[in-house]
Amino acid sequence: MRWLERLRPWIFPALLLALAEVVLRQRASDALAPPSAALKSFVGLVADGALLQATAFTLGAAALGLLVASVLGVILGVLLGLSRRAADWSELSVELLRPVPSVALIPLAMLVFGFGLRMEVAVVAFAAFWPMLLLTQAAVRQVDPRLLEVSRVLELGPWDRALKIVLPACVPRLFVALRLGVAIALVVAVTVEIAANPNGMGYAMMIAQQSLDPAQMLAWLGWIGVVGFVVNAGALALQQSVARRMGAAP
Amino acid sequence: MAASLLEFDRVSIHLGGREILSPTSFEVGRGEFVCIVGPSGCGKTTLLRAAAGLLKAGGGAVRHSGQPVTAPSREIAFVFQDYGRALLPWRSVSGNVALALEAAGLPREQHAARIASVLQKVGLGAHAQKFPAQLSGGMQQRVQIARCLAQTPQLLMMDEPFGALDALTRQGLQDEVARLVRDEGLTVLFVTHDLEEAIYLGDRVIMLQAHPGPGRPSLARMLPVDIPYPRDQLATKEHPRFLALRRELFAFIEHGHALA
Amino acid sequence: MSRLGSVAVLGLLIVLWWAASHGGWISRVFLPTPEATLASLEEGLRGELAGFTLATTTRMLQGWLLASLAGVALGALIGISPAARAWLLPTLEFVRPLPASALLPLAIALFGLSAGMVLAVVTFGAMWPVLLATVHGFAAVDPRLQEVSRCLQLSRGAFVFKLGLPNALPDILAGMRLSLTVSLIVSVVGEMIASQPGLGQAILLAARAFRASELFAGIVLLGLIGFASNTLLSFTERRLLRWQTL
Repeated sequence: MRWLERLRPWIFPALLLALAEVVLRQRASDALAPPSAALKSFVGLVADGALLQATAFTLGAAALGLLVASVLGVILGVLLGLSRRAADWSELSVELLRPVPSVALIPLAMLVFGFGLRMEVAVVAFAAFWPMLLLTQAAVRQVDPRLLEVSRVLELGPWDRALKIVLPACVPRLFVALRLGVAIALVVAVTVEIAANPNGMGYAMMIAQQSLDPAQMLAWLGWIGVVGFVVNAGALALQQSVARRMGAAP
Repeated sequence: MAASLLEFDRVSIHLGGREILSPTSFEVGRGEFVCIVGPSGCGKTTLLRAAAGLLKAGGGAVRHSGQPVTAPSREIAFVFQDYGRALLPWRSVSGNVALALEAAGLPREQHAARIASVLQKVGLGAHAQKFPAQLSGGMQQRVQIARCLAQTPQLLMMDEPFGALDALTRQGLQDEVARLVRDEGLTVLFVTHDLEEAIYLGDRVIMLQAHPGPGRPSLARMLPVDIPYPRDQLATKEHPRFLALRRELFAFIEHGHALA
Repeated sequence: MSRLGSVAVLGLLIVLWWAASHGGWISRVFLPTPEATLASLEEGLRGELAGFTLATTTRMLQGWLLASLAGVALGALIGISPAARAWLLPTLEFVRPLPASALLPLAIALFGLSAGMVLAVVTFGAMWPVLLATVHGFAAVDPRLQEVSRCLQLSRGAFVFKLGLPNALPDILAGMRLSLTVSLIVSVVGEMIASQPGLGQAILLAARAFRASELFAGIVLLGLIGFASNTLLSFTERRLLRWQTL
């Protein structure tokens, strides 16, 4: 029954969609549309390039924001991980700044950058910075003390120690942090578009709803879900393959 | 004639398409301490789990006081080798013992007394409020034994219970279990890879063989242990009968079959 | 000693802020001075901001509590049954990466612009981390403990309450922490787009009117809500999971 195993993840959602199709076809409304209509709308979006454009914007903003956050977060995280004193001294500031919800900065980003790419990148960067910082710091701190003892026994200099022992030991955990960062970046990007920024997938979905085009709104919602799933799955696969290559437990 | 407490009637067990235990028959009478030994892959743990109802027999029947065993029951207590995984880490020692009482539906007011009595028997009276993570391996195993005692079982199954412990702790627990079993009048089925332990503790040793071949039984031999009680770690192990049995068992394991 | 250093670093950041705003390194349109922010904070709290803070906090907590209850209940139901897990988990895992705020347009279409609509999305969005954590916690019950449960002939209900839930508690609490974050975010976004009274709407209006100190006051308050709720939850988590650190 191998094919049943393969098919099983799809059966429940297929049943839900079938149910939605049957129910919603009866009751046409301004609020909801049957899945078939959403699919048709989706095809239309692909055809006229709107899908590509919006998706590219959202993914681009998320990627740029993540890049900024990662560079800053990893550098600072390594510093805080290596220096106990720096970590202790920065703790209060980090603990006070971190809980600020990224969405609270949307109006500020709007004020500074207006609408567009930079505003979204700024908010995404703020949101993704904290997990990158903290996870990198933890990864550096958690290098197996046994490995550090080995480096002392071998009398490795600090540069060698950092390059040959500390950094490689951190890499698997850094990719775990990256995976988390990717998830956050995408969610925050879409959220910024829903709240304010007139670009990207989130905005397209809002406009569709406001134009009372439920089919298109649902098409965007479904597409956002698919993109999120694929991106996250990709990040997970990357993380696991890196972990395997570096010999760590996946 | 009273039905034996536990009966294996031509029991065979298959797992993952392979026959782990070929048709095996034996009986265990009330109050007996039966040890099961054999090389890896002979099916001794599988046999024990079938006796407790955790596994279904493929062929033949397991009977407890004449009734077929199809599912686990509180009358048959099971002591697992990996005690750390069999205890609830979020409950204290008394909490873990209480689980058995709660399962049996004993009224709340009676819990404290029962728990205290059982913990006293295993020597953990002073540690009732500690958590498993704060206890040594030997003590954790004793908590598991205490929980099993709290079930007031008729049969006690023990699956290499001391395998994960150091030699000194093992010896101490062997004597404790021997004493407990005698005091409580329990019937025990005890699986071990330690041949000396099997002779030291048992009234009877059942020797299983791995891969017996088609049509041949897993059960190779049953040896009565005719060494008097009470037994002692020093004196008993120099007893001539002990040494003779030891020779037989070692030869069995080494050559894969029992001496005539 | 490190406490002092920590405070010193924070102080340094505030001094930098003061210098940047007073020195005009960053325009005061974008970066108000610390004193202006403080003044707006005081004034706001005596005025509307207190009410807005309460509204946002209430929304966040209501949604979070409902979401946690629903998440644990549903999660337990799905979690104890390997069959249910096999059929449903793939779908649940698909929903996991979906931004909760993405449901706002759908909710607006269904319920219109109202406080109830925002609460519905907050609850629905915040439910998933708890639900998934609960399912995972139940799925991860050590097989040995499951056998102990069978040997003791524990009923399904007894298994759920005595073994499943305590075993899942660390995961559930971690899920609830994530839920709290989602809940605050969706509350704020919901207030922004549905024009519901609260800090979300307040800071949006302040930005549109170029009132930077009010904007910053609102951000500070949102940060405090996040900080306070997280701290309380962490504290509760540590007490409940004391047995883990023994």
